[in-house]
Amino acid sequence: MTKSKLKISIAILLAVLAVVSAVVGFVNLPKRTSEIGEDIISDLRIQTIINATTGDGLIETYIGLAKEEARVKAKEAKLKMAEQRKVIAEAEEATRAKYEGVDTDNSSINPDDLAEPVKAYAEKLKAYLDEEASARQEYYDAHYDEAEAKAQAEREAKIAEGKDVPETMKVVVDMSGFVATEKMNALRAVSDEAYAQMGDAFKKSYPLIDDQALEAFEESIEKIVYVAGDDFSDLYDRYNAAGSMNAVDDKTAAFMVRYADDFIYIAIALVIVVLTILFSEFLIAKFGIPRVIIGLFFILLCFVSLFYDLPLDTYFSNTLVRMGMNSIMVLAMVPGIQCGISLNLGLPIGLVAGLFGGLATIQLGIPGFWGFLFAILVGGVIAAIAGWMYGHLLNRLKGEEMGVTTYVGFSIVSLMCIVWLVLPFNSLKLRWPLGSGMRNTIGLDKTNFEHVLDDFLAFEIGGFTVPTGLLLFMAALCFLVWLFGRSKTGIAMQAVGNNPRFAEATGISVNKMRIIGTVFSTVLGAIGILVYSQSYGFMQLYTAPRQMGFIAASAILIGGASTSRCKVSHVLIGTFLFQGVLTLGMPVANVIVPGSTFSETLRILISNGIILYALTKSGGATRG
Amino acid sequence: MDKKKIDFKELVRSNAVTIMFVALCIFCMVFSNTSVSYVLMAMVGRLSRNAFIVLALIIPIVAGMGINFAITIGAMAAQIALLWVVEWQITGLGGFVLAALITVPLAAVFGFLIGKLLNKMKGQEMIGGLILGYFANGLYQLLFLFIFGNLIPLNTPGLVIKGSTGVANTISLQSIKYALDNIWSVDFGTALYVMSGVIVVYMILMAAFKKKKEVSAIVITIVLGVCCAVYAFVPAVADLFSMVTVPMITFVVVGFLCVFNNAIMRTRLGQQFRAVGQNRTVANASGINVDRIRLIAIVISTVLAGWGQLIFVQNMGTFQTYGAHEQVGLYAGAAILVGGASIRKATNKQAILGCFLFHLLFEVAPSAAKTIFGDAAIGEYFRVFISYGVIAMALVMHAWSGVQKKKKKALSAQ
Repeated sequence: MTKSKLKISIAILLAVLAVVSAVVGFVNLPKRTSEIGEDIISDLRIQTIINATTGDGLIETYIGLAKEEARVKAKEAKLKMAEQRKVIAEAEEATRAKYEGVDTDNSSINPDDLAEPVKAYAEKLKAYLDEEASARQEYYDAHYDEAEAKAQAEREAKIAEGKDVPETMKVVVDMSGFVATEKMNALRAVSDEAYAQMGDAFKKSYPLIDDQALEAFEESIEKIVYVAGDDFSDLYDRYNAAGSMNAVDDKTAAFMVRYADDFIYIAIALVIVVLTILFSEFLIAKFGIPRVIIGLFFILLCFVSLFYDLPLDTYFSNTLVRMGMNSIMVLAMVPGIQCGISLNLGLPIGLVAGLFGGLATIQLGIPGFWGFLFAILVGGVIAAIAGWMYGHLLNRLKGEEMGVTTYVGFSIVSLMCIVWLVLPFNSLKLRWPLGSGMRNTIGLDKTNFEHVLDDFLAFEIGGFTVPTGLLLFMAALCFLVWLFGRSKTGIAMQAVGNNPRFAEATGISVNKMRIIGTVFSTVLGAIGILVYSQSYGFMQLYTAPRQMGFIAASAILIGGASTSRCKVSHVLIGTFLFQGVLTLGMPVANVIVPGSTFSETLRILISNGIILYALTKSGGATRG
Repeated sequence: MDKKKIDFKELVRSNAVTIMFVALCIFCMVFSNTSVSYVLMAMVGRLSRNAFIVLALIIPIVAGMGINFAITIGAMAAQIALLWVVEWQITGLGGFVLAALITVPLAAVFGFLIGKLLNKMKGQEMIGGLILGYFANGLYQLLFLFIFGNLIPLNTPGLVIKGSTGVANTISLQSIKYALDNIWSVDFGTALYVMSGVIVVYMILMAAFKKKKEVSAIVITIVLGVCCAVYAFVPAVADLFSMVTVPMITFVVVGFLCVFNNAIMRTRLGQQFRAVGQNRTVANASGINVDRIRLIAIVISTVLAGWGQLIFVQNMGTFQTYGAHEQVGLYAGAAILVGGASIRKATNKQAILGCFLFHLLFEVAPSAAKTIFGDAAIGEYFRVFISYGVIAMALVMHAWSGVQKKKKKALSAQ
């Protein structure tokens, strides 16, 4: 009883915290766009400008200007180097002497005098810069296809000449042709005028500053005032980093406004924690400890990236793409588990077959979607044959599949390494111009099947790109596997997986069903790697497929499958969670420890940890 | 005579992998361009640094846990110990011994945890050990990338590279390179004479105390004598071994491990290993704490593997911080299987023979492939394929025979 009481009291405490946090957040968030927020930003902005332009630094600026002027003059007069140096030094001395003892104190400036002109300038500059950014983007979009076609043509030409081509095709849009639009010029004039007015206000309250200095400062002031895409948090953080916080009277209030959104996030996070604590037993019973941990970890990563103002929508978009590209390989686990061969860790057999199909397509130069279909066809046929033999092998090893499949898969991958080396394909996209064998990674491009699924009917919502074709393909195959599970053969296969003796007794051929399951799984593996490659843009040969079986297996386990039972929904949930954690893990880890390979470590820990967990749960079950 | 003939056939069948490997090695030797004396020199080096870790696999095999692929974790323990010995700048034999001492508690704790986990997945120990090795590799990366050098500062120059996170990619062990090997390193002739002398004395003593048959003692003595004589009086043979230097102490340590493996099998504990290995249910019924025995087997194996990795890296003089341990389990496992061991049975002789053959192929395969295909990379991939293939084949054979046995049982039951 005490334990549950403790639980409830902690939950109540956290709930109260959540409410407080939510109230703080919702009270402060609207202030950003109201007068209070504008005042905070305005105070900070003026202080930052004052810090940057006045004080002792200004004298140094004048000296620098004088030196530059002297240098230009000396150069025009074609003086010798030594004389030039002398003239410059003299100019420096003179300027220094001129300002010797001048009072540079900037505390006399009254920020309130500057508030109006700075605000006006900021608004006008914002209008101009936003217009410029959108104009540039328009120009970029208009010229992208052209640049891409040019890069593609160059690549083709290089291949035709027998030169080495890089794996990736870099599309660079030439922005040199971009000229300011009329609207931009008009806005620029307005903002320049506002700048001049602001300069006058400055000169009035700080006589030491002159036009020359204002001109020299224009660029840096512009960068202080507004950068395209800035919002409240960006401006606040920039001015805070510049050390202008003294300008704000009520620092706590400013802090509250700045972190209002984070207070709301914390409130939501606390609510989730409260729910987890209250329903922990139910959750663990329903999903098992590892899935609860991974699920919570995923939610934690979401909140951390929100907290650090990372672009969560982009990450979710990436997660969706990565889910689509990995899902078919994970789906390949389903027939394997259903027919009773447990996790098909021999999946690399299917993967190398698929890769071979892809290579054949590029070698024959079949473009686009038909090329992709051809690759699936070739890969699928090879995978079916290999899967059939593999199934026969597995039928002789009932109950020992996991260990054997792993090492058979490893052996096949290393055998294929030799095959990749001696394969007589001669397309220069595939092989090195010098030396022998296929490349390690083969870059796909628009003439092959790069992004054929991803780009099909793809559309954007804000920063969120939906790879429609990829998701449709994934849904179609998932549906197919689901449908197969409802068919007569599928039901017989699952009966074999659940209880081979019973199945045998009812007259189902256990061996035949296991072979069907293995072949199906292997063929799905072949399709899976092709889907993966078209989305990734590369085909990875040699040792790359070795660990992919483990990744696929761990994804379906995360989704809720066991080594003997699974559903199609496990594939979708598991792939999303696993890929989501990996996609979010990298940028979050990079914020916390810059330049780390944390995401890779995370993948190793999660994927192997979940397989270990599944093994302990199945322990002895397959002993037979 | 007849009986012997049948024995011969049976011998071929049960040692198919070994015989195939011998043939493969000879084939590669013929086509490789390396001289025999160079190969012999390299082989003595490879044997000295790899034999120990292969021998560390025997006890878990006897205890019915298959090949302990989790020995990679023992190797990780050794590398953690080495990192600190380098950090404290303790050099020479002292550093080596200290590293060996630190390895013991580390590897024992790791081994304990491995054993606990493997006890939860009986019958799946090998795949479990393999994946546990991968998992531990993730933890190892966490430790070396984010804890050492960041949270726990390292001061020795070269251990941490500025501008990157964590411990450097390679750790140089110049300070303890050859710490063990160079205590007493002699040319092949001396080594042969000394070894022969020791063995002969041992044989005579054994014969004198009636622990061994006199005949076999005499045969061994004569064989050794002939070997010594051939080496001494046939210059061609002596030439072959001219490049060889033998790190005596390393081999003595390996020898001790062989003796240890044999001795422990004669103790009560050893008998329990065997009992558990043959049948857990029966062992349990006869009052043996099966889980505890399996735990002990794994702990011993892990500690020995740690020492094996120490011997390996002191010979290499440097190690890849994030990669040196990865293939340990694979190569050691493949080696012992090549020697004729199975997943249920292994002896010292098989371990040593397997280690020799496996590494001989490693030595000659790339150059043979270069001669035949004009590409050394094929040989490199070939030997990796062989490593995986040998293990896959052993697993298939084992699983197959298990299924066959079950079928037979079912038939006889009917």
